[in-house]
Amino acid sequence: MERTRKLKAAILGSGNIGTDLLIKILRSRWLECPLFIGRNLNSAGLAKASSLGVRISDRGIQALIDEPGCCDLVIDATSALDHLRHWPILQKLGKAVIDMTPAKVGSMCVPAVNLEECLSQGNINMVTCGGQASIPIAYALGRAHDGNLDYVEIVSSIASRSAGPATRLNIDEYVETTEAALRQFSGSPRSKAILVLNPAVPCVNMQTTVFAKTAKPDMRRAKAEVEAIVKRIQSYVPGYQLLVGPLYENNRIVVMIRVQGLGDYLPKYSGNLDIINCAAIAVAEALAAHRKAPPSQAQDGFRSPKRAPVPKEAKRS
Amino acid sequence: MTDKPRILISDPTLRDGSHAVAHKLSIKQICAYAAAADAAGIPVVEVGHGNGLGASSLQVGESAVSDEEMLTAARKNLKRSKLGIHVIPGFATINKDLSKAVDLGVDVFRIASHCTEADTTQRHISFVRERGKIAYGVLMMSHMAPNDVLLEECRKMESYGAEGVVLMDSAGFSVPSDVTERIGFLVDALSIPVGFHSHNNLGLAIANSIAAAQAGATILDGTARGFGAGAGNAQLEVLVAVLHRLGFETGIDLYKVLDAADLAEKEVLPALPAIKSISIVSGLAGVFSGFSKHVMRVSEEFKVDPRDVFFELGKRKVVAGQEDIIIEVADQLAASKRERS
Amino acid sequence: MTDQRRELVRRNCLEVLEGQAERLAPLRKGHVFITGGTGFMGTWLAELLTCLNDQYAFGMRVALLSRQAQSLRESAPHLAARKDVALVEKDARELAELPESTSWLIHAAASPDNRTHSSDPLETIDSIVGGTRAVMEAAARLPELKRVLNVGSGLSCGAQPLDWPGLPEHFAGHLDFSSAGACYAEAKRLAETLCAAFRNEHRMEIVTARPFAFLGPYQLLSRPWAVNNFVRDGLLGGPIRIQGDGETVRSYMYPSDMAFWLLRILVDGKNGGVYNVGSPDGIKLKDLAVKIADSFSKRPKIEFGVLKGGAPNTSRLVPDVSSARTALGLGLRTGLDTAIEYTLAWHRNAAPGKIASTI
Repeated sequence: MERTRKLKAAILGSGNIGTDLLIKILRSRWLECPLFIGRNLNSAGLAKASSLGVRISDRGIQALIDEPGCCDLVIDATSALDHLRHWPILQKLGKAVIDMTPAKVGSMCVPAVNLEECLSQGNINMVTCGGQASIPIAYALGRAHDGNLDYVEIVSSIASRSAGPATRLNIDEYVETTEAALRQFSGSPRSKAILVLNPAVPCVNMQTTVFAKTAKPDMRRAKAEVEAIVKRIQSYVPGYQLLVGPLYENNRIVVMIRVQGLGDYLPKYSGNLDIINCAAIAVAEALAAHRKAPPSQAQDGFRSPKRAPVPKEAKRS
Repeated sequence: MTDKPRILISDPTLRDGSHAVAHKLSIKQICAYAAAADAAGIPVVEVGHGNGLGASSLQVGESAVSDEEMLTAARKNLKRSKLGIHVIPGFATINKDLSKAVDLGVDVFRIASHCTEADTTQRHISFVRERGKIAYGVLMMSHMAPNDVLLEECRKMESYGAEGVVLMDSAGFSVPSDVTERIGFLVDALSIPVGFHSHNNLGLAIANSIAAAQAGATILDGTARGFGAGAGNAQLEVLVAVLHRLGFETGIDLYKVLDAADLAEKEVLPALPAIKSISIVSGLAGVFSGFSKHVMRVSEEFKVDPRDVFFELGKRKVVAGQEDIIIEVADQLAASKRERS
Repeated sequence: MTDQRRELVRRNCLEVLEGQAERLAPLRKGHVFITGGTGFMGTWLAELLTCLNDQYAFGMRVALLSRQAQSLRESAPHLAARKDVALVEKDARELAELPESTSWLIHAAASPDNRTHSSDPLETIDSIVGGTRAVMEAAARLPELKRVLNVGSGLSCGAQPLDWPGLPEHFAGHLDFSSAGACYAEAKRLAETLCAAFRNEHRMEIVTARPFAFLGPYQLLSRPWAVNNFVRDGLLGGPIRIQGDGETVRSYMYPSDMAFWLLRILVDGKNGGVYNVGSPDGIKLKDLAVKIADSFSKRPKIEFGVLKGGAPNTSRLVPDVSSARTALGLGLRTGLDTAIEYTLAWHRNAAPGKIASTI
C-alpha cells in the first residue's frame, strides 16, 4: 500500500518568489507547505499565505530551528547572504534544501537535464533564469553532436519590469554563473551569456536565443533532440515555447524559445522568474515521488555530454 | 572678454565604424588611424567592437581581433589623446572585461545602457571611478524615452559617479528640434556635462550635433568620413569645421583632422557611408542602426523585404543587442507570406 | 585594522573629550543602543563611547544593531572583540524588542549611499520609514529609556539658496518630492515627523540631529562624493579631477567632532529639538581640491573635467550651527586641514596590499 503523505516543503522567504512558490505548492498533488516563513509580519507575502490558510512565521530560520520536524524539505527564497547563513544550520538539521538564491553552494540543477542526479544532493540550486531556459537547449544540441560543440552562446531578453533592483545590481554574476553552467551542461569549452532588458509595453515575455557553433552541424539530430527536450520542459513549465529552429544560419545553429509565466503570484511577463520557480517545483515533486518509487524505477538519467574523441583524420589545425 | 565655449570631441571611428565592417577592423588599421587622430589632437579616441567591450559574439558579430589586442595597439599609438571604450553591462562584466581594460591603460570608460535602464550601470561606473579613471554614462536609443525619464536616468548615472552623460541617437531617428528640446532640458536640470552622439539615417547627423552644441551639450561624437553603423555617424571633420566656424573651441587641428579622415578613407573604410534605402527605413522605424547588416542577410535568407523587417522591429520596440529578434520577425513574415500565397 | 589606525582614532577621541567628558556624565553606567551601529556614524559613536569607558570609567554597555553587524569584526575588530560592545545582526524594520535595560537609544540606521537611493528608492524609503517606526515602537515600551536621538539629514530642508551662508534648522527649501530622487531626503523628513508623533503620543523624549557632510576615518572612499573622489584620486597618484567649475560649496566636519556633538545632543539637547551637525565653514570644491593636493608630499596634478554647457548649476550646502553652538556650547575641535591630514594618514595606513578605497 503506497504512502500518500505529501512531501512537506517549508518556504523560507516571503517575498514575491517565495509567495509564488507557495501558490504552486498549494496546487501540487505531491507537495504541501507546513510553514511559510518570513521576517516581518507586515510583508504582503505572509498576509497572502495567511489568507490562504497556510501556517506562517515571522521568525526566519529560527522557526525551523525550533520546529525541525515540521518539514522534509526547505526551499530558501531569501538572499545569497542569508542562504550562506541558513545552509550550515539546515545541513545540521538534516534538511534537503532547494536554493533559489544566487548563493550557489550546492549542485546546479536543470530538471530537464540532470534531475535524477540531483535528488541525492543535500543542496540543490536552480542556476539562473536564463540558464533554466537555455541550458536544456544547449544540452540537447550537445547530445545531437556527441558533445562536439565548440561554442555556445545565449541571449536572453526580459521585460524591464521583471528585473528588480537586485537583478540589475547582479547582472555580472548572472552572466558569469550562466556561462559556467552552459559549459558544464553542454560540454562546450567556450560560452557566452548576454542579457538585454527591454522596457517595451505591453511587457515582453522572456525570450532566449541559443546559438551554437560546431564543425559538423547535424540539423536533423538537433531538431529531434531539441523537440524532445522542449516537450520535457513543457511538462513542468507549461509556458515554454519553441519559437524558431533549430535552424542553421550564418554558420551557427540557432534556436529561439519564449517563456510566458503562469501568473500565479508573479505577473505573466515574468517568465524569467516563473521558469526558475517551475523548475524548483519540478525538483521538489521529484523528491516527493522519489520517496515512493525505489531508485531502480528511475527514468533515463541524463549525463553531461562528454566530448567525443576526435578521429585522427578529422583533427583541426 | 568671454571664453569660447569648449566642446570635448570623442571619436569612435574605431568603434562605431566597426559595425560597418562587421567588426573586422585589423590591428594595422587601428594603429594607423589612432596615430593620425593623436596627431590631430582629438581628445578621446574610442576603440573596440561596435557594441563595446566584451561584445564579440554570435549575437552581434565576432571581432577579427580580440579586445586586448585592439586596446594594446591603440594604447601604443595614442600619446596625447585619451583612449576610450564603450561598455554595455550585460555584454561585458567587471571581472572578465572591465578590470582588464583598466590594466591595459584605457583612460575613458563610457558605460552604456538602454535609455531607461541606467541602474544596470551602477557597479561598472563605480568600479571605474574607484580605479581613478574617467567614467561617462551613455544612454542608448535615447529617442525611445520622454525627456523627464531621461533626466531621471541621467541623475542615476551621476549618482554612481558618472562625470557626464552622453545621449545617443542610435537609430538616427531624431530631427534638430527634438535634439534642441531634449538637450536643452537636460543641460538646464543637470550639474554634469551632457553629450550627444548622432547617426545619419535621415541625413541630419551634423545638424543634430550642432543643435545639441547650441543647446549646451559639451561632448560630441564624430567619426572620420562618418564611418559607422547604418548610414554612419556625424562626419567628424565636417563637425569640427562647423564648430570652429560657429565659434566653438575643440582643440583639434583642422588640417590634421582632415588628414586623418583622408587616411581613414584610404586605409580603413571599405566604402564611404551613404544613406541607403534600408538606413532611411531603420531611421524612421527607430531601430538601432547596427542591425542593418543582420537585417539584410536574414531577409535574404528568409526571402522577405528587409524594409518590412525593420518596420516590424520598430513596432516591437526592440533595443540594441536584440539582433536575434530579426530572425524571429523574418521567420514570421515569411510564414505570413506563405499563408497568403 | 592596523595599530596606527586604531591609535589615530583613539587619539582623536581623547582630544575631543579633553575637559569635556563630564558633560556626558549622565551616560555613566548606561546601556546605549545604536541602530546603524556598524556604519560610519555608529562606528565612531562606538569608538567614543568605549573611549569614555576606558579613559573615564563610564562603565557603559554599548549595543550595535545593523543588517551586517558581523562586518564590524573586519572593519573594527578591536571594537567587536570588546566585552562592553554587543553586536545585534538584524534589520531595524524587524526589530520587535529592544534590550530591557536600554537607557539611551541612537537611531542612525539608513544608508546615505546615494547610489542605492537612485537604484532602489523603494527600499530606501521603506528602510528609513519602516525602520524608524519599528525602532520607536520598541523604544516606547522600554522601562529604563531616558532619551532617543534620531539621526535625520541635512538634505531634508531642501535646496539652500546660494546667498545664505548657512542653512538653519527651520529653513523650508525646495525639494521636488514628486521625483524618486527625493526618496532619501523625504524619508528622513517623514522619519522626523514620525518621531514627533511618538513624542506626542507616547510622551517619549526624542531629540533630532541633522548631519551634513564629514571627512575622516571609517568613511568609504568608494562613495562617489566630491571629497572622496579628490582623496582617492590623490592617493592613486592623481590627477585630481574637478567636475564643472568647482564653484559648488560644501563643508566637512571631522567625525570625532561629529560623534561628540551627537552624544552631547543626546544628553543635553532640548526634548523635541533639532540640531544641525556639521561644519559651518564652507569651501568651494576647487579650493578643496587644492587643499587636498597640497597635503601630498608629491603634489598630484589638478584637472578640470569637461565643463557643462548652459548656466552652471552651482549649489551650496553648509549648515548654520548656531543652535548647537549657543544652546550646547559646541564647537569644532578639528579644522579642515587637520581633517584632511588625518584622513590621508588613515588611508595610507590601510592593511598591506589593500587599495585605499575601502576601510
